[in-house]
Amino acid sequence: MKSTKRKLGIRPCTWVYLFLITFTFVTSQVGQMGLSGLTVSLLVLMLALIKGQLVGYYFMGLGRVKGLWHWPVFIWLFIPGILIGTAFYLTAARV
Amino acid sequence: MRYPPGDLAIWIFILAELVVFAAFFAAYAFTRMNNVELFNEFQQQLDQRAALINTLALITSSYFVVRAVSAIREDNRRHCVVWLLAALAMGALFLIVKMGEYQHHFIVEGVSLSTNTFYMFYISLTFFHFMHVIMGMVILAAVVVMAAKGKYSAAEHTGVETGASYWHMVDLLWLIIFPLVYVMR
Repeated sequence: MKSTKRKLGIRPCTWVYLFLITFTFVTSQVGQMGLSGLTVSLLVLMLALIKGQLVGYYFMGLGRVKGLWHWPVFIWLFIPGILIGTAFYLTAARV
Repeated sequence: MRYPPGDLAIWIFILAELVVFAAFFAAYAFTRMNNVELFNEFQQQLDQRAALINTLALITSSYFVVRAVSAIREDNRRHCVVWLLAALAMGALFLIVKMGEYQHHFIVEGVSLSTNTFYMFYISLTFFHFMHVIMGMVILAAVVVMAAKGKYSAAEHTGVETGASYWHMVDLLWLIIFPLVYVMR
């Protein structure tokens, strides 16, 4: 972490913050443009899951944890992610 | 490192909270299946700009908390307090914007839990999260007081990490609520 800071002059957590902000603006733009449909919804969901994993891994510090406690946020994101994705897929398949 | 930062008890609590919200999210998505037009119509009445501001506020506050933890690990108590106060200010911004949204829906539009299924989910999900933001701010405020009194150091800062973990959970939950309730249609 320190060596990265020295090389780039910016902390890894700051890079993560900038990614999170960028992804948020992309998601918001999709909403404000009124884009809809299965593909758009799944892409927005995927962005949210990536953001969640970044928060868990870098902000909560789970990236440095070994063993069982490395996984709770990943698993938590995975299960509702699959359920939400399935519900939107089934909704689109019905229409 | 075998265990996550902070007190292990807070992580058990965090996991329990995450499970409850996961059930909520799934319930929202599967209920929407039978009410697609209703959900899409009323979702468009939500304030997208307020949701964006709130998302930026929570992400920024989470980042400030990360910086506070880094500061105390470097034994810099003053910076730790300053970063935590900045995080609290972002939390307060979230509450103010959210209350503005509620004021518009409840008072101007006359919306309630029984208005329709979409608003039932919108109100219960976001208000449940709103209460967690308040709880997180109380915890962070307690950590600020302790840090200002010099109770934490580079050698012992479990309290700061415990408060930080809870606050990041509040952020994590909103990162799913924002696209699910405001954007995906």
